[in-house]
Amino acid sequence: MYKSKIIAGVEIGTSKVAVLLGEIEEGRSLNIIGMGQCSSRGVQKGEVIDFHEASDCVHAAIQAAENQAGIAIDGVYLALSGSHVNGYASEASISITSENGKATREDVNQVMAMAQAKELPENRAVIHHLRRPYKLDGRIVDNPVNLEGERLEASCWTVHGDARKMSDAIHVINGLNLHVDDVVLAALASSAVVATADEKRNGCLVIDIGRGATDFAMYSSGCCISAGSLPIGGDHISNDLSIGLRMRLKQAESLKQRYGSAQVKRSDKSERVWLNNDFEIGDRTIPLWSIEKIVELRVTEIFEVVKKRLGAYGMPEKLSGGVILSGGGAHLKNIEDCAEKVFRVHARTGDNGSMATDELAEPAYSTALGLLYYGLQFQSKRSETMQRGSGLFGRLKSLLK
Amino acid sequence: MEYRKTEESSSEADLMVKMKVIGVGGAGSNIVDRLQLAGLAGVDLAVVNTDLQSLSNSLVPEKICIGKSVTGGLGAGGDLEVGREAAISDKTALEKCVKDIDLLFIATGLGGGTGTGAAPVIAEMANRAGALVISFCCLPFTVERAARASVAQDGLDDLREVCNAVIPLPNDLLIQASDEDASFLDAFSQADAWIERAIKSLWAMMHRAGVMNIDFAQLRQVFSKKAGKTLFGLGQGAGPDAAERVIEDLRLCPLLHTPEFSKQADHLLVNIIGGASFSMTDAQRIMESITDEFGQDANLVMGAVIDEALGDKVEVCVIGTSDVSSKTMLRKPRIASQIKAIEPEQPSVRAEDVQIGNDGSGSRRKKRKTEQHEFSFTENAPKGEFENAEGYLFEGQDLDTPTFLRKGVKIPL
Repeated sequence: MYKSKIIAGVEIGTSKVAVLLGEIEEGRSLNIIGMGQCSSRGVQKGEVIDFHEASDCVHAAIQAAENQAGIAIDGVYLALSGSHVNGYASEASISITSENGKATREDVNQVMAMAQAKELPENRAVIHHLRRPYKLDGRIVDNPVNLEGERLEASCWTVHGDARKMSDAIHVINGLNLHVDDVVLAALASSAVVATADEKRNGCLVIDIGRGATDFAMYSSGCCISAGSLPIGGDHISNDLSIGLRMRLKQAESLKQRYGSAQVKRSDKSERVWLNNDFEIGDRTIPLWSIEKIVELRVTEIFEVVKKRLGAYGMPEKLSGGVILSGGGAHLKNIEDCAEKVFRVHARTGDNGSMATDELAEPAYSTALGLLYYGLQFQSKRSETMQRGSGLFGRLKSLLK
Repeated sequence: MEYRKTEESSSEADLMVKMKVIGVGGAGSNIVDRLQLAGLAGVDLAVVNTDLQSLSNSLVPEKICIGKSVTGGLGAGGDLEVGREAAISDKTALEKCVKDIDLLFIATGLGGGTGTGAAPVIAEMANRAGALVISFCCLPFTVERAARASVAQDGLDDLREVCNAVIPLPNDLLIQASDEDASFLDAFSQADAWIERAIKSLWAMMHRAGVMNIDFAQLRQVFSKKAGKTLFGLGQGAGPDAAERVIEDLRLCPLLHTPEFSKQADHLLVNIIGGASFSMTDAQRIMESITDEFGQDANLVMGAVIDEALGDKVEVCVIGTSDVSSKTMLRKPRIASQIKAIEPEQPSVRAEDVQIGNDGSGSRRKKRKTEQHEFSFTENAPKGEFENAEGYLFEGQDLDTPTFLRKGVKIPL
């Protein structure tokens, strides 16, 4: 009945390549049977910049996962991020013509097809059509089939990316003789794990701060209504520190992890900390205030840019579910306070508690876990509808393999 | 004391460059009230407001209440049309106020009624009376929201039509430039300090014997055109390596990090005030880095003044104007047409006469206009690891560049 019982999620991130293998039991629940990871090389800001190095890393990570699970995989779900990802909203509406005035499945399919019909510029490929809630005569409905009305409106948020950059990542997987079952926007994948259904219904924003890129997805009435990615991440924090405090990137990275805080919490500007803390010659002290200020400015800016990208959706009244932070950047101290200050709603760090324990509970694994979750849903849905996989992106995919 | 006074008022005072600072509206009068320009001979202060009560609280001797017939002396109520009408209704008093002034500073807060409405009218009058007009205008906090901001933007555009230089001081910068625990007054005194330093610097340029002297005619040349975007920065430094510190301080000056200015200026006025130990090589170094930063082929006027009292301190003030082909240049000047309607026999704005004498350079500049676009100050700022990466531009800023550099926040080491 199902195409395969094993699904694999691969995230080619700027810091690490993470691979998770899951086994579907009876089409419903998921067991994680293998994991592998490898520090990334050849990836910058979420995009592949050195094919060979990136391939080696991905290969090593997949190999490790396969060895652990004792099986071989043939297809993966791939997470996608990067500055080239962009989106737009498109709308369509039709009059319901059936005799009894009820919307039919055909009506729904037709209006969705119309909403998705907009042509993309050259070199762009669709990643997702995110459906927003349907409107029947202006009222919001989850599923309009068999409901009475005169006018059915549908709108979707089309996420699209640079076809070349997308195929770079797909080629890496193809090069290992694996096929890509689907690509999933990283923010969508992680939000599947960290945000609860309640939060998505109330309206929430998931921000995944990775090392090289920050992905965000905005939910309202249970549907993702806007998503995107910006190529600013944890590396920028370290880089700012390294420039501002005149030190090597490695030192800055360690300083960020030890003392970084997304909010300046102390009023005493004279407190200083040791740079290397190894009692060697050349060690020096750095004002803690400076560290915190640099980090605060950068993190605040990341949130502000996300807020601006969301436009009217970023207003607090649309976000009663709050802001949920995930990704490696969510480890930063006081980052919730910082997000609360910018978005003026409650913020929390997401955890994968509902899906995983121990090692996998770290926010850094949210995306990879989300891929499995996404794959699980997709696999069970596939038997019902085969409408996905066609269209421009389907063509792109078939070209690549 | 008596002797000095007579000397001033007779022979020298007539030759001296007459400077005046007018505060327009509530914010403007507050600024002028707090300015400490004691000791600067030849600088007069005046306040103009529609609100009688706040005028009576002002310490400045010359007070003009405008629009009594329009508002009854109760203020403009945040309506810029009322502010404008008030100024036009008291034309005679204002014209008297700006008569025989060579260099006029207007300090005002935009976004309200009086400042936004009346300041451009006053600037227009002064301009016609032959004064060089430089405006300092405080812009509302971002939290004050869209309505005020758009009023402020209108006011800014109007002012740019009629002033020789307009220097916007966004209130947001006050928060940034001051400590977190600074009081309200402290924060605002920062804006006063900026204005004060600018005025003092220009005063020193005119009045003190400079090592490299700038006279008023040169100043007029720099500001010969209507203000497009004005670049304004201050820096100071002390100690043995004061020159380097000045440059660094200037680079971090928050006023240079607003999106309001364009980096490349067509006319650049640089004034350096140094203590007795200030050397020629220092001046050279400062000038080099400034021209690098702001425009290699700008029409540059440099002045250097020695002030013994400064010790090993060095101060630098950069004012640049550029006539970027912006919509403000193309837009029909609203105020100008209004005033012209009242008195059609007035000759055109004096600044244009000066420009005719500026042989040929006008046409050259026109050619350059098309090439010019706005740069961010941090274009050449270090990007560290991302030096070679494809930058990410958001609202005109390259986000790969450290945030603290773009926002001009000083990081103690």
